[in-house]
This record gives sequence, structure tokens and C-alpha cells, in this order.
Amino acid sequence: MIIAERKPLARILQMIAPFERVAIIGCRGCVAICSAGGDREVEILAAALRLARKRAGRPLQTIEETFVRQCDPEYLTPLESLKEKVEAVVSLACGVGVNLAADLYPDLKIYPGVDTSFYGANPSLGQWEEKCRGCGDCIIDMTGGLCPIARCAKNLLNGPCGGSQGGKCEIRPDVPCVWHLIYERLKKRGELEKLTQIWPAKDWTPAGHGGPRERVRPDLQFNNNKK
Amino acid sequence: MSGWKITILCCHYTNEAMAEDLADIPAKIEIKSFPCSGRIEVSDILKALEAEAEAVLVAGCEKGSCHNRSGSMRAEKRVEAARKILEEIGMEPERVQMAFIPRLDTGAFVAAAKKTFEKLLDILPKGETTS
Repeated sequence: MIIAERKPLARILQMIAPFERVAIIGCRGCVAICSAGGDREVEILAAALRLARKRAGRPLQTIEETFVRQCDPEYLTPLESLKEKVEAVVSLACGVGVNLAADLYPDLKIYPGVDTSFYGANPSLGQWEEKCRGCGDCIIDMTGGLCPIARCAKNLLNGPCGGSQGGKCEIRPDVPCVWHLIYERLKKRGELEKLTQIWPAKDWTPAGHGGPRERVRPDLQFNNNKK
Repeated sequence: MSGWKITILCCHYTNEAMAEDLADIPAKIEIKSFPCSGRIEVSDILKALEAEAEAVLVAGCEKGSCHNRSGSMRAEKRVEAARKILEEIGMEPERVQMAFIPRLDTGAFVAAAKKTFEKLLDILPKGETTS
């Protein structure tokens, strides 16, 4: 899922400083699962902003809603009527949601309430770890399912580096060296020969070289009125 | 009276105190009961402060005695989260206090309320309110 984290309250307060009526809009997608932008976080943020503004002598009115998703146009349609009720919207969706809303509702003042951080997994309650960088050229068939692009601090393709010590990364000694893990994993699987090839420098073109990436499925483009 | 208001958010099982038990505390005391302190959200704490409380006491069962096993420990974490938010917006985190109360021990409950009032004395000049 996409992992996000609430922006510092001072930053959000700065964004909405000119306004008296603001909608706080959450998303029940990834940001709800990673406890950054679901119903509960919307309620907390709205209460915190109102409290801060009340103390500053400039009371704030909030409308709180959480959409099913903010990365599909159909779920953003309530923004049309919300425009009439508030002066600005703080979205707790990832950057995808904020961008799409800004594309579709250009006269709406929409501000991000979270920083979008990474693609991660949720190995235990209250903890999220990066597992994928979305580089567009997945090689984990060769590395035992473990991604050196996302999980090696140096994004090495021919690791480990000389700094790997005792199975730990030299950049952050509390983090396992993913190349050590890859070696152990492939050894256990009897697939160590996969490490005998030398990978050339990575082609980063699929990672976003040339601007925003697109994916098209013509077979699904029927009665497409999204554009 | 100090003119202060203290809101106590508590587990239904931690409190039997009546208004007269808390009469010694020179503040308006508001008590809101929840089925379990684990049900008390960060937003409940913030909303209590927004509703003119100078301080909030969250009272849950003693660790290990919660009906729902971990309710009061969840409450403690929410208190920590609320305190961090207060720090972010320039309010004293000590305005939110957590107490673990033996079940239905009125004495301990009242003592925790008094301690919350004393914390306010430390952080607020007498008579000052947040409203």
C-alpha cells in the first residue's frame, strides 16, 4: 500500500491560515490502512486544527468526510457541492488523490494534509516498512522475492557492498542488509547460480524518465468518459 | 473556585465517585464515562479541551485488571498521542493526564482528579483559562 504520514500541524495551520471554513477529507484506501488519513485521523486532525485556531482567537469551522477513495474520479464528485460550503479542503489522501482532485476541480483550493512516503507493508501493528520503489522494472524473480532497489540503501544491483557487516546495513545498522538476505534466501532455495551474473547499470527509463508514467488497457477503454 | 474546568474521561468500571466526592477540588469537574477506557479516542481528549476544559484526566483500570484485557493500556497510548498534538500546537502536554485506578476505588479516582488540578496549578497562572 501507499504509506503516508500526517504533516506537522504547524504546516497545515499555515496552509489554511486565510480560511474560516475548511473541509478535512480522508480516504478509505491505503492511507486509512496505514492510519494516516482514514475516518479516525480526519476526526483527530479536525479537532486539533479547531483547538489551535480557537486558542489563536480565529475559530475554524470544519466539515469532516472520508471518501471511499480519492484516486478515482467517481468518488471525488462530492467535492463539487463541498466547494460551496467551504473555502478550502485539506485532503488526507496520498499525493495521487490530491493531484486528481486538483486536476478535476481546478477552482477548488485543496491542500495536502499528509506527506506521501513510500510503498510499504505492515509487518506488525503501528509499523510500516518500504518494500517496493515502483521502479517499473521488477527484478525480484532473480533475488528471491527481495527487492534491492527498495531495500538496499545504495540501490545496488550487484551487492552486497563492502559495508555490510554481520548481515546488517552500514548506513543503518538496525536494518538487515538485503543482499545478505538475498544470498541466504537463494542459497536455501538452491538458486545461488542466479547471483553469478553481473547486472549492467539499471535502466531507469521505466522508473519515470520522460515524465509521468501511464498505463493503458485498451480493452477496458469502453465508454471511457474519464478524460 | 479557580474558574477552571477539568474533564474526566473514564472507564465505566473505574468510577463510582459522586459530585460531592469531588467537591474539594476548586474547579468544575465534568465526568464522561465510556464502556472501556480503550474506547476513548485522541479526538475525545482534544474535543474536551475544545469544549473549554483546561485539563483532561483519562482514567482507566489498573494494568492487568481491564475487562477487555488491554483497554487502559490503549488509553495510555492515546493520551501520549494527544499530548504530542498539544505540543505541536503550543499547548502544555501536562494538560492531559492518565491514571490507572483500581476498580471502583473512589479514593484513588478523587486523588487522580486532585493531582490533575495540581498539575494545572503548575502550568497555568491561577484564574487563567484557555477560553
